[in-house]
Parts: sequence; C-alpha cells; structure tokens
Amino acid sequence: MSDNPSPILRPTPTDGFPSLTSLQQIATENTLKNRHPSAALPTDTKPPEAVLQRNQHIQFLVRNLIQGFPARYTSQDASQPWLIFWTLQGFSVLGVGLDEKNKKRAVETLLGLQHPEGGFCGGPGQAPHLLPTYAATCALANAGQPGEGGGWDAIDREKMYDFFMSLKQPDGSFLVTYDGEVDVRGIYCLLAVATLLNLLTPELIAGTPEFLATCQTYEGGFGNASFPGWALRDDVAPGEPAIDPTSPRPPLGEAHGGYSFCALASWVLLLPYINSYPTHSPSLPKPSINIHSLLRWLAHLQGEAIELGGFKGRTNKLVDGCYSWWVGGCVGIIEGLLAGGGVGVADESPENEAAGEQHDDGWDDVDDSLYNRKALQEYILYAGQHPAGGLVDKPPKPADAYHTLYDLSGLSAAQHRVIPNSKREKELLACWTEDEVKDPVEGLRRDTFAYALSWLEEEGASKYVGGAQNRVNATHPLFNLTVTHAENMMAHFYKRDVPSRYRTKLSK
Amino acid sequence: MPDIAGDGPEEQPLFSERPDWTDVTPVPQYEGYNPIAPIFYTPQYYFRGIVKTNEKSERVLELTEAIIRLNPAHYSAWQYRYHTLLAIKAPLDAELKLMDSLAVQFLKTYQVWHHRRLILTAIYSPPPSNASGLNDPTATTSSSAKSKPSPESQAAARTELAFITRVLMVDAKNYHTWSYRQWLLAFFDDVHLWEGELGFVERLLEEDVRNNSAWHHRFFVVFGRGQLQGEEDRVAVLKRELSYTKDQIALAPNNASAWNYLRGILERTGTSFSNLRSFVEPYTKTHEDRLGDEEILDLENPAPSAEAELPCVAALEFLADIYEKDAVSKSVEIWKRLANELDTMRKKYWEYRIKEALKDVPVQS
Repeated sequence: MSDNPSPILRPTPTDGFPSLTSLQQIATENTLKNRHPSAALPTDTKPPEAVLQRNQHIQFLVRNLIQGFPARYTSQDASQPWLIFWTLQGFSVLGVGLDEKNKKRAVETLLGLQHPEGGFCGGPGQAPHLLPTYAATCALANAGQPGEGGGWDAIDREKMYDFFMSLKQPDGSFLVTYDGEVDVRGIYCLLAVATLLNLLTPELIAGTPEFLATCQTYEGGFGNASFPGWALRDDVAPGEPAIDPTSPRPPLGEAHGGYSFCALASWVLLLPYINSYPTHSPSLPKPSINIHSLLRWLAHLQGEAIELGGFKGRTNKLVDGCYSWWVGGCVGIIEGLLAGGGVGVADESPENEAAGEQHDDGWDDVDDSLYNRKALQEYILYAGQHPAGGLVDKPPKPADAYHTLYDLSGLSAAQHRVIPNSKREKELLACWTEDEVKDPVEGLRRDTFAYALSWLEEEGASKYVGGAQNRVNATHPLFNLTVTHAENMMAHFYKRDVPSRYRTKLSK
Repeated sequence: MPDIAGDGPEEQPLFSERPDWTDVTPVPQYEGYNPIAPIFYTPQYYFRGIVKTNEKSERVLELTEAIIRLNPAHYSAWQYRYHTLLAIKAPLDAELKLMDSLAVQFLKTYQVWHHRRLILTAIYSPPPSNASGLNDPTATTSSSAKSKPSPESQAAARTELAFITRVLMVDAKNYHTWSYRQWLLAFFDDVHLWEGELGFVERLLEEDVRNNSAWHHRFFVVFGRGQLQGEEDRVAVLKRELSYTKDQIALAPNNASAWNYLRGILERTGTSFSNLRSFVEPYTKTHEDRLGDEEILDLENPAPSAEAELPCVAALEFLADIYEKDAVSKSVEIWKRLANELDTMRKKYWEYRIKEALKDVPVQS
C-alpha cells in the first residue's frame, strides 16, 4: 500500500445524541471497517488484497446470460432489456466480448422487445417505456452492428420519435410511458437514445432544460421531478410557452444521487441546444443550473475512511456501491465541464497505457480530481466484490446484475478521466459541410454529435489501486458505453465517416 | 429482490385450471426465437391474451391484481388496470383501499404510488376522455392540471395524508412516499392541508433529527409555495426557520441535513451567511478553546452541548464561506486545515476551493 500511515478509522460523530440514522450508520461502519486494509485482524487472517476478481465477475455475468436468471428475478420481468444491458456493458467494462452466436441471440431478443408503435418494452407483450428503451438501445450498441441481422437498422426510428413526442409534457418533461410518471430518469434515457440514434429536434427538447433546472433542490443535488401545476398557463395559443416562468415549480423529492446523475447528464447532452439560445431574450431566458452547489453536495456524499470512501445516495443515508457510478460518475462529468478541452488524443493500445499511467505513489501528484478516487476504488475492491463473483451494494448483501455493472462502471470512472477534447470536437464538426448546417435542425445534430463524441479518455491520467492488473475499460460518462461503442453507433446513425482517434498519434 | 408475495394466486387454482378463463387464448412469453437471459417463472400468459383482445372487465381486475402481487414493477399491468377501472367505472375509492393493503408490502415500487396519483386525479379532477388527467398535451384546456378539486376533496386529501403518514412510520425515508406527499399537497393546494405540515415535519425531526427527507419536506412546505396564507410575513418566517434550525444544530451539530437546510434558507432568501457568524463560531472551536470564552446564555445563538464533537467540520466550512467575500486568506487557512487534518476524505474538494478562491485574488504588488 501507500507510504501514508494508516488512517485512524474514526466513526462518524454522533454528538452524544443518537437517532435511528446514527444507529444505522454505526451498524454499517462496524461491518465495513473490517474490510479496511489497515484494520487490525487476527494474526491467522490474510489481509484483504486490492485485486479485482475479474474472472469471477465474468462467470457471474455469464451464468445469468446463458442459464437464465433465477426465479427470484421475477420482479425484474418488466426490466428484461436492463438485465441484458447490465450484463453486456459489464462485459465491456471488464474487457471481454460476446461470441458471435450469443451476440446474435442478444440482438434477436432485444428486437423482440421493440414495440410496433415505437420504443422498447420491459418484456414481450408489454407497453413501451423510456427506461427499457435506453437499456435496449445501449445493449444493441454493445452487441449489434449495421446491416442485415445486425439489429441497428431494425430499430424503427420514426416510430420511436413519435413515441417520444407522445410522452412530451407542456412543462418540458416526459412521461416514462403512457399514463406513467414523470421523472428525470426517463428524460435522461430519452435524451441518451435520441443522441445515439440521431433523433434530436428543437421540437422534441423544447422546455426540457428549464424543467431540469427546476429539479435542483436547496442541497444542490436533483430530485426526481418538479410540480408544474401552478405554472401552467390556461388557454395557450400555439407557439406560446405553456409555462409562466415567474410561477414556482418546486422540486418533488429530495436531492438523490441517481436523479442527479440523470439530470446532469441530460443537461450536458442538451448543452449544444442551450448554447443556441439567443443571448438576450426576455421571452426566452437561458436556463441555468448551479454547478457549484451540485459539486458541494456530491463531494459531501463520499463516506469517511471507516466506510472505505464509498458514496452515499442522499445526505445522512448509507454508502452503496452503485453510487460509485451515479455520484462518482456525476463528479466526473463536472470535472469534464470544468476542464474544458483536454490535451492530446487518447490512445488505447496496451503498451501506451502502461507507459502513461500513474502508480500508487502518484496519487498526490497534481491532478484535477474533485473527489477521492483512490478511496472509491478501495471501496469497490475491498467491500464491493462478492466472494462468489459479482459485485454488491455493501457486504454482506448478495451480488446482483445491477450492482455488478454500476460498481464496475464506478471503478472505471474512478480509474480514468474522460473529458471533452476541443481538438476532437473541431475534427468532428468538420464532418459536416456549411451547406448542410444551414438547416438549424441539422446544425443542432452536428453540434450534439461533435460535443458528445469529444469526451475522450485523458492520456496519462489513469490511476489504478492495486496496479494495472485491475484496469477496466474507460466508459463514456454520458452514456455508460465505451467511447468506441458510442462512436460507432453515432457514426452510423448520423451517417458520418469519423476520423480515427488514433490517427493523430500515429502521424507523429 | 423482493420475494414472491405471500398471499396471492399461489394458493388459488392456476388461471389455466379455471373454467371462467377457458375463452382466453394464453400467449407465451417468447415467440419463435431462442432468447438470451430468459427469466424462468410462471408466465403471465393470460395477461397477454387479454391485452390482445383489449378486454376491459371485472375479471381483468382480478388478473392484474394477481400480476401486480407477483411483480409490483409490472408497469404494463398497472397501466392496463387503470384503464380498466375507468372503462368499467369501478368505484375508485375502493381501489384506493385495496392499494392501501398493497402499499406497505411494495413501498419501494414507483408504480404503487403513481397508481394512487392517477386514481386521485381521476376522482378529483376527472380527465378529458382520452387523457390521463396529468398535463395531457392533447387537452384543449389545461383544466386537468389547474382545476381546483371539489369541496369533498379536502377530506379525501386528509385521508391520503394520514395514509402516507402511516407508511412513513414503517420507512421514514421512503423516497416515493415523500415525493408523493409533496405532489399531493401541491395538487390540492389547500391552505388547511399545508398548515398541518410544519407540525408533522417537526414530529418526525423530533424522532430523528438526521432525517434528511423530513428536512427537505420542511423546505418544500415553507418555501416551495411562494407564499402561503398566514405566511405572508417572510421576515418572520425566516426568523422562525433560523431559530428552529439553530436549535437543531445545537442538539447534534455534526448533522449535514441541518447545515444544508441552514445554507439553503439563507441562499433562498438572499441573506448573507455572515449574519450567522456569532452562532457558528463556537462550533468551530474545540471545547478546550471555548473554555476561555465568556459563558453568556444567548437564546438566539444556542451553544454546543458538552457532548458535541468539536470542532464541527460543517461549521468550519460555513465560516470559510463567510470569509470568502472579504478575508479570503482566512478561508484558505480553514480549507487547508480541512484538507490536511479534519476532513481529509474531501481533500481534493477543499484544494479546489482554495484554487478557485485564489484565482480571483488580485496579485499583491
């Protein structure tokens, strides 16, 4: 381990004033502290090792895929695309791919979940829903490809657009399904899919940035929705805004890590659209969110050393491995926003990985992290891994597909920095001609394409607790796909020949 | 993952064995392909059969209830049930009572709460025939969004609030439950409902002063609505909130919920943090350092108790934010102490604050 003295595992202070929250917190600390590498253990016990049990996790995922999920997953019957996405993206993060036969099966299964009227369903014969639509699209990004039998061209984009528009609400939000609830998870899922499949139009996203802004709470994080009723105008003429911007639209639900990720990722996907607002327009004021209060809230969600530095999902609640992605990943997006363009173009070849990376004793070197990446990796490695394979919320809970993916994605986010690269953005903007972007819709699509795909792994900034043997693949912070998968899918649907990310490096 | 529900169709004959279901063609789960990641459980063949024929009848209610008990997240079954209830004009208050019994079992499922919202909206502001009653963009007026519920609705809302309160007894931080309570208050927007909420929140905070959901609800009740009847004097409201929050901080200062609330109300009202300086300072010292301070009983500024673990990190952060305006070097000193000694997990964040603050400082000549 590092040359720092072992931290004192100080319990969270209770001020001599216990309450249910503090009692639950103490119970959790008592479980977790024994996983800390500095914990005093009986002499015949092996100290925990910071080793990612890659093969065990692969086997855990493979069992689910091939043998099927056990009967207790009945509760996930309306989430079948999710089970496939969590599994396939888990493989991508771990650096393994499906064989061709199983890729085909995956594609067939996913297409069987496409609804004839657009969008994807949680299970066969069910109604279409924004969340399984995201999961299915991202699973197809993993397992599918263009052309006959590849699955991508079997996605009915026109019907999907109609499905999205049928869910749109006057306050800029979207229902998740017919007669469903409004919540920012649905909005994130819709925007991610619309970005990947080239479905964005101003008509689709009008009012959505404003809605997102109303979901930010006094704590700085985002709740699941906001109440529109007081601000909705009566008898709105076509073309007029349906919302009175001076009326309150209070957030519903406290600041929460999952919703905050969805809100911020949505916001960032909408940045090209937001930046197109006229500079001074009283009738269309540019919406804004408070990044600094969001960052403060997120930073305070990281647990103490006694909790191994995992993330909580809400103030005064317990750490959970899945927030490694939702909260850790959210801070990563902010790092990207604050960093702006990066330096150079990421090179994924293994030899250059080893040359560029930092070792354990390089943690205190100057770097632009805003949270404790080392501690988050330690949480995942020491507490997040289940001895029988798969990853968990916290010990002694059993492993499940959801936590396996989000713990691993969180590990990825803590190992790598994926931030916007202005050189890459310029290259991608140049894939359109001036003539093409005379159409403002095409201009929005170009700007979105270039910005979303400008987020690249920063060279030499990766750090691995336990060494390079624990390296997992970098993930695109806005999609939770590899950059390669996101790029391939978008290049296909936006019909662009994208210059190779490696070309610049090779030409040196 | 939740287990299969205890009482339900497991103890009754399967739908396939019932004579009153023989006219429905069951539809298998996976048609014509070899699926990846299949789920092995008793397939809801009959639901798919009903959907195919678009049947809306009493027995559909029985079927959808069975599915919901097996899988409360089956959103299509919930949706179909809602449309069936409307189509056959089933008594919606009876539906709510049935939902009461399911809610405690399935607390953490979105659909249980959303269904209540749909039912309540249908009872108290009937939607146009083609809409859900929720901000339907096809509605020619936004009557479904803005119509004032009828006079009986206050009683119904009270019943609903009482139900939510019972559920919160089981799980005081259930996210959907709180979000639903906030929606309910906003939807009915009845002054008599709002006025009971402050007392409700205070009871919960008395039970657990660290319940962040309750603090968030307090903010919603006090500041979410612009201006409430009886709450027009915003100066008096702020004074009350500051006094309450300071008292809670004095009880247990290492409570992020209370500090976040304090910061939130100051920011919301545009009040300078420096107004709270005399209150905060004692919390930034150790007990030893405070021994030298005069012991003045100041009701406006309750001091930390002997059991408080000092210095309180949140108080130091607050003080640093006060200094940031006109004494930034003092802020930097505090942030360094937090980064290196008192709150090392957040070292990167405190270093970021230092970097940002020093950016704005003009270079000394």
